[in-house]
Amino acid sequence: MESLADKERLPRDIVAMRVAKELPDGSYVNLGIGIPTMVSSFVPEGRTVFYHSESGILNCGPLAEEGNEDIDLINAGGQYLQIIDGMSFFDSAEAFAMIRGGHVDVTVLGSHQVSATGDLANWMLPQRGVGNVGGAMDLATGASGVIVAMEHTDRNGEPKIVQECTFPLTGKGCVYLIVTDLAVIECDGHGLTLKEVAPGWTPEEVQQLTGAILAISPDVKEFEL
Amino acid sequence: MPGNRLESSNMVLRAAQELFPGAVVALGMGLPCHLPFELPASGGVWFIADSGALGYTGQDNDGVSVDAGGSLVAMLPGGSFTGVVDVAGILRGGHTDVAILEPSQVSTKGDFVHWTTEKTAGLFAPGSAVDMAYGSSTVVAVMPHQGPGGRSNIVEKCTLPVDGAGRLDLIITDVAVIKVVASGLELIETAPGWAAEDVISITDAPLSVSSGLKELTVDIPAIVPPNKVYPSAVDALLDVPEGSVINVDGFAGPGGMAHYLMVGLRDLGVKNLQLISNTAGVARVSAFGSPNIIDHSILVENNQVVKATASYPVSPSASRPSAFEEAYNRGETDLEVVPQGTLAERLRSGGAGVAAFYTPTGVGTLLGDNKETRTIDGKDYVLETGLRADYCIIRGHKADTLGNVVYKGTSRNFNPVMATTAKVTVVEVDEIVEPGQLGPEEIITPGLFVDRIVVRPSDFSAYLDI
Amino acid sequence: MISVPDNPSTNGKLYPSGKDALEGISIGDTVLVAGFARCGIPQKLLQALSEIEVSELTLICQGAWVQESTDFTIADLVATGKIKKIISPMPFHPVYGGLVKKAWESGNLELEIVPQGVLAERLRAGGAGIGGVFLPSGAGTRFAEDKEKRLYDGREHVLEFALKADYALLRAEVADTLGNMVYQATSRNWNPTMAMAAGVTVAEVDTVHEPGGIDPELVITQAIFIDRLVLSD
Repeated sequence: MESLADKERLPRDIVAMRVAKELPDGSYVNLGIGIPTMVSSFVPEGRTVFYHSESGILNCGPLAEEGNEDIDLINAGGQYLQIIDGMSFFDSAEAFAMIRGGHVDVTVLGSHQVSATGDLANWMLPQRGVGNVGGAMDLATGASGVIVAMEHTDRNGEPKIVQECTFPLTGKGCVYLIVTDLAVIECDGHGLTLKEVAPGWTPEEVQQLTGAILAISPDVKEFEL
Repeated sequence: MPGNRLESSNMVLRAAQELFPGAVVALGMGLPCHLPFELPASGGVWFIADSGALGYTGQDNDGVSVDAGGSLVAMLPGGSFTGVVDVAGILRGGHTDVAILEPSQVSTKGDFVHWTTEKTAGLFAPGSAVDMAYGSSTVVAVMPHQGPGGRSNIVEKCTLPVDGAGRLDLIITDVAVIKVVASGLELIETAPGWAAEDVISITDAPLSVSSGLKELTVDIPAIVPPNKVYPSAVDALLDVPEGSVINVDGFAGPGGMAHYLMVGLRDLGVKNLQLISNTAGVARVSAFGSPNIIDHSILVENNQVVKATASYPVSPSASRPSAFEEAYNRGETDLEVVPQGTLAERLRSGGAGVAAFYTPTGVGTLLGDNKETRTIDGKDYVLETGLRADYCIIRGHKADTLGNVVYKGTSRNFNPVMATTAKVTVVEVDEIVEPGQLGPEEIITPGLFVDRIVVRPSDFSAYLDI
Repeated sequence: MISVPDNPSTNGKLYPSGKDALEGISIGDTVLVAGFARCGIPQKLLQALSEIEVSELTLICQGAWVQESTDFTIADLVATGKIKKIISPMPFHPVYGGLVKKAWESGNLELEIVPQGVLAERLRAGGAGIGGVFLPSGAGTRFAEDKEKRLYDGREHVLEFALKADYALLRAEVADTLGNMVYQATSRNWNPTMAMAAGVTVAEVDTVHEPGGIDPELVITQAIFIDRLVLSD
């Protein structure tokens, strides 16, 4: 374990790049805070993805340049956005009707924990006693597909992929794909299948840092970017 | 031989006596639709049609706007358009003061049948009459007293299935005005030349005669719009009682928050407030906010807040707690955490007369605990209830003097939803304009939701001295 | 899993004809049709539907109660015999009747009457992922028969379930190629709600702009809800 803790993992932008490959052309996508925010920079050429934000904007563009911030043009993380063609504004009830009604095709979220059955726990750390749920539960429940993009282990080296979540849940059985700095793992609601590993990592090493049993895909391969 | 019967235009004009300045008046198909054609075009009341026209007149026609019956009308300055689902919310959510319908039959108990007769029995034609009857403060029927062959349209018990049970308050016919009271029907006015006995003799239901029985007139009161513009935030909030539930927006950053009204509420010092808001004040502790920006914290620090209902109640970082989190940890405030989409939907429901709804969000989580769950078509849901408030303070970009509001960009978020939920809605804007200067397709919050307007002074700073 | 968008490519929402835009519509489908009186009726799509080999359709709509119209309306579609059932708050004008009334009286058309606000709220629930709603409307009437009731604030409320459809036929004056739409006056009516509540949404529009051609503050139906566009002329 000692040696694995020190072993080089993929940087966050590579994780984001791998997630970006999953976004279908023409899809409507909601990106959470952290690695998910970076995904929009890596959408493969030739594909158009439309971003939704629960701040009440569809077709969000890139972040505003310094000096051009407009307090009336923000994403859900409070970051300032650029004006782009084809965007639209709406209220919070409409923003969440889009999410809960299944109109948002994919959401990419960070997480504290993901379980073997695709449960997501990303809104509250038990030790704090209080948490910010924001739009996470609606996204986890409502979006057609939930991808988790996160570090494979937490700051203390503990696995974030676990047999059962010990933190308060955001949604049950909602995650279908996990992309970490070590692996790409599919989740079918019953169990996890390791599909890809980071360069230089073996499936067995990834399993050692994972708190749930991974089925190793027969065609497991190195990260495909 | 009694006197003449009222012409239909006069029957309709009698209904105008039930209106008052600023009244929101929903008009059903048939005779009620004539009222905006009979009355001079004034902005004193809001005529609304389930076609989506809010604030129109029949004195003119713009070629593109129709009323509930499909006739062409024109929008008054400050009128606006909406969709049928939002009209239904206005009708059902208690925002309509007077609904005027033309039933085909009414009963002693105030039941009514809408646009169905023996000839078309088996077909029902509720249109929007059901929503009008179940959501409006006063429901008025305008109809001929008798149908073909002298059959009374007023009966002890409806002979056809009813579209509203016990919903009518007043019945205006071509010979009488009858009030629906707990004991039955009370005759309060008769047409010129008609004695109470004349009316009773053609009515197939018992009528009691009011001691104040008088002659029916069609005098039309002049109705001018009420003033909604207040000189300052403090003036607009002066009557907020202790313990009020207050809806206030505040998505995350500095936009969309009613800073000026928040300061007014702070200066008034009113205690024991329960805030419903997306955050409980995090702009001051967020990376994109500013440490001295005004947010909900100014009310918390002034010991005015006893509870917050929010989706994002605390600082994103535990090491930089917000004023609310500190108060919560000291046990001074209660907290209800609600997923953001559920919060938005609970507010929308509260404003649209939806008492409760089943949402999939939160099933199997801490926030779904102790709530009713239900499986509908194989999917699990939790039951959530609509939220309303005593006061709502919202932030718009511009308003006209009738209270129509437009917003700017993502600062819209919770504001239009909250504007539908409170007994008193107060809006803070950068600029107030005359009715007609905001386009009818541009208006996001129709003025019928807004009670008070204040201008955020140009020298007002959203930043505190620290 | 991710649902694959109906139209992957950016500009792929614009279809050459009404018939093309209705591709996939099948026997027995439920179809939402926007419009109120003469406003906001997708005439070209209704006409295209009347020419497609399809039957046993259920329509959800305001109804057909405009008289003496040269427009192609729901009544004309009913006359083709493709419609099995209409769900509506007022399927035809109770006094003037018309083709819909005739079809109903002859037993060729089934009608289900739902109060307008209840129908709108059920569609919105379907589009917004809500399973059911408790509404005060219709308590104590036949519209509440055999339905679950509960008291809220001392008033009886009736449980109404969400409603969704296979297709929605919409109409707007202006769209952009992404599917953002704005409506003129009362032609908005059912359009924004129905746009949320169908598997495939098809909108007939007078003008299509490039993205950026519509002020983002004025968009009423957002692109996310629209799958297919067709020009009205």
